[in-house]
Amino acid sequence: MPRYVMVIDQSRCIGCMSCVVACKRENDVPPEQYRTRVVEMVRGEFPRLRTEMRSELCNHCDDPPCVHICPTGASHQEKDGTVQIDRRKCVGCKACITACPYDVRYINEEHGYADKCSFCQHRLKEGKEPACVATCVGRSRIFGDLDDPNSEVSQLLRENSWRVLKPEVGTKPHVYYINQFPRKS
Amino acid sequence: MAFSRRNFLKLAAMSAGSTLIADTPFLSTRARAEAEGGNVRYVATSCEMCFWKCGVIAKVQKNKKGEDVVVKLEGNPFHPQSNGKLCARGQAGIGQLYDEDRLKKPMIRTGERGDGQYKEVSWEEALDYTVEKLKAVVDKYGPHAVAMMSHGSPGDYFTNLLMAMGSGNIAFPSFAQCKGIRDVAWELTFGHKPGSSCERVDLKNSKVIVLFGTHLGENMHNSQNQEFAEAVGRGAKIICVDPRYSTAAAKASLWLPIKPGTDMALLLTWINLIISNGWYDKEYVEQYTVGFEELKEAVKGYTVEWCAKETELHEADIIEAAKDLGRYAPNVMIHPGRHVAWYGDDTQRSRAMAIINAILGSWGREGGIWLPPKGKLAGFNDGIPEYPIPDEDPIIKGNYPFAGGEGLTQVVRDVTITGKPYPIKAWFVCGTNLMKSLPAPELTRKAIDSLDFIVAVDLLPTDTVMMADVILPECTYLERHDGLFKIETRETGVAIRQPAIEPMGESKPAWWIGSELCKRMGHPEYAVKDSSMDDLQAWEKRMRRQAKAWGIDFDKLADEGYITIPDSEAPYITPENQPVFKTPSKKIELFSSELDEKHFDPIPKYEKVEPPPEGMYRLVYGRSPVHTFSRTINDQWLWELQKENQVWLNTKEAARLGLKDNQYVVLENQDKVVSNKVLVKVTERIRQDCVYMVHGFGQNSKRLTRAYNKGADDQQLITRYKVDPITGGTGMRVNFVTIKEA
Amino acid sequence: MELHIVGTNAITYPAMHVWDWRVASYLFLGGLSGGLMIMSAVNYIRPKNGQNADTLNAWKIPVLIPILLTIGLIFLNLDLERKLHAFWFYLTFKPVSPMSWGAWIVLIIYPLLIAYALAALPDNITRTIKYPTIRNWADALKPHLLKLAKVNIIAGVLLAIYTGILLSSLVARPLWNSPILPVLFLTSGMSTGAALMIILAKTKEMKLFFTKIDIWLIMAELLILVLMFYGHYVGDAVHQQAIAPFFSTSHEFFPYFLSIVVLGICLPLAVVLKFLEVTGEHTEELTTSSLLMMNFSALLVLVGGAVIRFALVYAGQLSGYSSYL
Ligand SMILES: Nc1nc2c(c(=O)[nH]1)N[C@H]1C(S)=C(S)[C@@H](COP(=O)(O)OP(=O)(O)OC[C@H]3O[C@@H](n4cnc5c(=O)[nH]c(N)nc54)[C@H](O)[C@@H]3O)O[C@H]1N2
Ligand SMILES: Nc1nc2c(c(=O)[nH]1)N[C@H]1C(S)=C(S)[C@@H](COP(=O)(O)OP(=O)(O)OC[C@H]3O[C@@H](n4cnc5c(=O)[nH]c(N)nc54)[C@H](O)[C@@H]3O)O[C@H]1N2
Ligand code: SF4
Ligand code: SF4
Ligand code: SF4
Ligand code: SF4
Ligand code: SF4
Ligand SMILES: [Mo]
Repeated sequence: MPRYVMVIDQSRCIGCMSCVVACKRENDVPPEQYRTRVVEMVRGEFPRLRTEMRSELCNHCDDPPCVHICPTGASHQEKDGTVQIDRRKCVGCKACITACPYDVRYINEEHGYADKCSFCQHRLKEGKEPACVATCVGRSRIFGDLDDPNSEVSQLLRENSWRVLKPEVGTKPHVYYINQFPRKS
Repeated sequence: MAFSRRNFLKLAAMSAGSTLIADTPFLSTRARAEAEGGNVRYVATSCEMCFWKCGVIAKVQKNKKGEDVVVKLEGNPFHPQSNGKLCARGQAGIGQLYDEDRLKKPMIRTGERGDGQYKEVSWEEALDYTVEKLKAVVDKYGPHAVAMMSHGSPGDYFTNLLMAMGSGNIAFPSFAQCKGIRDVAWELTFGHKPGSSCERVDLKNSKVIVLFGTHLGENMHNSQNQEFAEAVGRGAKIICVDPRYSTAAAKASLWLPIKPGTDMALLLTWINLIISNGWYDKEYVEQYTVGFEELKEAVKGYTVEWCAKETELHEADIIEAAKDLGRYAPNVMIHPGRHVAWYGDDTQRSRAMAIINAILGSWGREGGIWLPPKGKLAGFNDGIPEYPIPDEDPIIKGNYPFAGGEGLTQVVRDVTITGKPYPIKAWFVCGTNLMKSLPAPELTRKAIDSLDFIVAVDLLPTDTVMMADVILPECTYLERHDGLFKIETRETGVAIRQPAIEPMGESKPAWWIGSELCKRMGHPEYAVKDSSMDDLQAWEKRMRRQAKAWGIDFDKLADEGYITIPDSEAPYITPENQPVFKTPSKKIELFSSELDEKHFDPIPKYEKVEPPPEGMYRLVYGRSPVHTFSRTINDQWLWELQKENQVWLNTKEAARLGLKDNQYVVLENQDKVVSNKVLVKVTERIRQDCVYMVHGFGQNSKRLTRAYNKGADDQQLITRYKVDPITGGTGMRVNFVTIKEA
Repeated sequence: MELHIVGTNAITYPAMHVWDWRVASYLFLGGLSGGLMIMSAVNYIRPKNGQNADTLNAWKIPVLIPILLTIGLIFLNLDLERKLHAFWFYLTFKPVSPMSWGAWIVLIIYPLLIAYALAALPDNITRTIKYPTIRNWADALKPHLLKLAKVNIIAGVLLAIYTGILLSSLVARPLWNSPILPVLFLTSGMSTGAALMIILAKTKEMKLFFTKIDIWLIMAELLILVLMFYGHYVGDAVHQQAIAPFFSTSHEFFPYFLSIVVLGICLPLAVVLKFLEVTGEHTEELTTSSLLMMNFSALLVLVGGAVIRFALVYAGQLSGYSSYL
């Protein structure tokens, strides 16, 4: 079984928002709702400024509070490590939304079930990369199998110091961030 | 194809390499569909959400009613402008296709011009009426009284129509309001434009990249941004010269917050530094350039000290940048920019940028400006006769000796208003929103009011469209054939546009509209061969003939969307691959003989631009990564990402004016024009002497239900523009505003 | 810092507002039901109860509990976005999900509550029941009233405490993520239960009895509340942030500030009033003013209980681990 992860090279994100639109169209996300977002943080005073760019999505946590709280088993973890939602079983109680420390879940306004990034499970089955990864103009999002030592993600995590978001909540995310800022040369 | 791990690995491994993923194994559209069991269809076509013309793969599925629906767009991995990716706008093409506000039927105006009252009519009626009106103008004033303004692919078909009629009065905003000025400057210097399909900038291999304005990351031309990110990822030194802390500045190792309008001072000082310190490429200069001594002499006086005062930059930063350019030359570049219609001295600024590239030896060098690709394609006009010679000379170049063939839109407008040297009484407006794209919109309005007839070919009921007497609805790029397109990147290639689905409503492709008008105007020999009112296949047949003439396998092209012309790539200078400079001296002209001949400065000089009056800010503008001017702001999937623009104001100034972040304000310009209300972004990211906003917002057309009245229009405040005496470009950053609470 | 985010969901950013008054009402009524289960059972079990003059009235409480709980569940159900899928609650049991526990606890409690109510019915009422099966059930259960009452205490504790466990298990919401929260909800549930007993009780003896109990409970509740805030206060920045809305006088946090003021008045005032009652001299029959005072102080307790649930449900959703600092 593969172990799917995403590595996000923040220095390469140019804030184009292509991922955001691609995800919405690929996954038929209703108007004004999102499975992924792009954050831009600018610190400092003119003219000494510094910017952090990063895209965020479900972390497919290894210890996922959203799954733990779900009363029906709709939210569950698959063998490949991804966290998925079985829409049939979802009662729309929203517990998982409150449980997720990353605020990546929402209630699909058209259908009422809880929804979030699926790592584009349907595309993986077809041998394609997730939609946001495929279109990432900056090649900031890199997807692959962590169990394979030769995969690009494994290499990147070996060669770079990485971090995850909100480690203090103990969710063991599988979206890894590298290069928080562009290298100064 | 079931998910196979090996397959996936291969993908990952290939993209791990240093190059972009152009070499990712990829299936043609037919093979893709077969792999997925044939329930979906994939169509390879070309994007028209902006003018980069990326290769697109449209995924088409049947809905419950059995109709074909475009469900997803993806980048074509074969196409070098997209490399398998699309920008946000490209991804949102479906929003344009299914926009409920689209023009669905031809319409004829019933009320006063501009009051928005129309009746829907049949194509027969619309075309006949158009022809009747055009003929009346031609009969009374001659064919030259019909002018056309256009942008993007529909232009070709109406150019054909106007030329057939005998009018050469055709102009595109992409010249005087955009990149024409730069193209001329580089032609004067190198004998070539710095790009056609794209700027020929070798970003991904560059060691030092200097951006003047050129706000990559916001200016979202796809492949260029892919390479920019690659450069950032590789740790290339990015030097960003911009009064605003743009996305590119955020990625830069050096941000130079230059005082607006003083770029020339910096450029000339750099040239001086580079020459006097011997940082230039001596052999290259010797071998390929003329006028070095004159240049050296001319820039002598531009000292760092003076420059720092003029530009309000630090001396150390000015020197550091020049040093880096010298150290890494020739694998460096000053990006030529694209929208350069800034201050009316823009040819000379673009020349100065070309000149630095020349003395650093970056033209034809890795990491610099690559050479134009080889691979000529035979001329093809499908056997239509020569166009008649216009009875009167076109006025599109005004009195500007170096105005290009794309024409000066504002001159067409001026002539329309004055009637001199002859009256212009009818306008074709195709795929351009003139009220938004030309400076001094009140003059555009005035010109339109003085016309006998105006016809618009467009997708959406935009401000300009809603002033037309006849509105002819074109179908979107996802519903039509266009091209074949010659794509010049590092290599030469051919791309196709073909419909993913049938045109919706009664919209029609521009080629069909142009062809039908040709016939009705009495020029059937210029119409598309074998075309008829109820046939949309004629253009495809023409494409096949064209492919044949070019020696290209049409079916493969239709399947894969893009075909490379073999051996056309020769980006760098080698002993065998010597550059050709199409200048009078056949060398790079640091000293321009052509400018000299026409009594312009043969070497750029610094001239001050008018500073903002006390208490006012210079108005500068730019792009949003998720919009293309005014053309995408009604698109559901882009609109929701950015519904309105903001005006950027420095924190200190905001405090002084007592304005809070995200409150509504209005701007008033030097001519007392007041803007729509607009949100203020109080930020450290901009100098204190200017304010910034994204161009394209503030639509007045109520039929654009989402975009109507959202945000403010920079153009409305650009009541003045400064014309570049060399090319006729319209410098638009010469307006000043005050801000107050709305 | 200048923060710009594209692609946020309105329900989760800038502050989450996923659960609203419906969930708060459910938590309140759930806690109240649990409290009533405990208190009414105590009423039966306490010594000398056999001849308790108020037995006649006491049966109304076991009957009231399932009604209150049902109202609570209606609120909860109102909050479900896909009500028709609710049966999935009972096609799974998720041992680590307090939500799942809650669903099953409710399922188990219902028959218990019904049995309890039937057993509590006095004969004169049983006789009026039209359906013989129910009548027979009531007769059969009657001897087991005390046993049922004991089980009810356990079930009541479970019900009241689980509402707190549900919230406290959510690491993502620091305000809720406190081990004291379940204890607070339990205590508050019991104190509201006792308060309702006071209001419904007819006899002086019973009123005074529950007033005495309630004094202890409210004092405990106050202490736990203070401890909870103290716990957050001495915790890390995130937990300190979590309680900030309650101590902020800014316009947007006014409701939270107000809730602290209300609690600060209601509960102590209730304690004082109750104290005056139990220490005061009473005639055989309670005077009208005494009655009013008792009921009023009980009402204060109920208001306090509701305020706690509403304030915590809403404020908890403002709290979180921000990664945009
Ligand atoms: N997303 C998106 N991308 C686009 C387009 C679009 O509509 N949307 N349009 C495309 C087209 S047609 C064009 S022409 C290009 C235009 O894009 P560019 O060629 O990049 O345009 P510029 O005017 O160079 O860049 C605007 C920047 O110039 C800065 N600036 C303003 N005044 C000055 C000055 O005096 N000196 C300097 N150094 N900088 C200044 C502004 O702060 C702003 O950051 O974008 C293309 N890309
Ligand atoms: N103030 C100010 N003025 C500017 C600029 C600026 O930044 N600020 N930028 C300048 C630059 S660089 C440029 S390139 C110009 C751009 O100027 P324009 O090209 O005029 O700008 P758009 O707003 O994109 O207008 C495009 C029009 O084409 C229509 N359209 C879109 N697709 C199609 C199609 O497939 N077929 C047809 N028939 N119509 C279509 C749209 O509905 C819209 O009406 O503006 C210039 N003017
Ligand atoms: S990020 Fe949130 S939704 Fe995704 S697995 Fe983790 S807790 Fe669950
Ligand atoms: S909303 Fe759906 S997925 Fe989320 S916890 Fe409730 S049942 Fe599970
Ligand atoms: S992996 Fe798929 S679902 Fe997740 S953010 Fe990317 S496109 Fe959206
Ligand atoms: S597509 Fe990639 S580069 Fe663009 S915003 Fe998303 S993560 Fe950043
Ligand atoms: S850059 Fe974006 S909008 Fe322009 S053609 Fe390419 S995908 Fe389309
Ligand atoms: Mo442009």
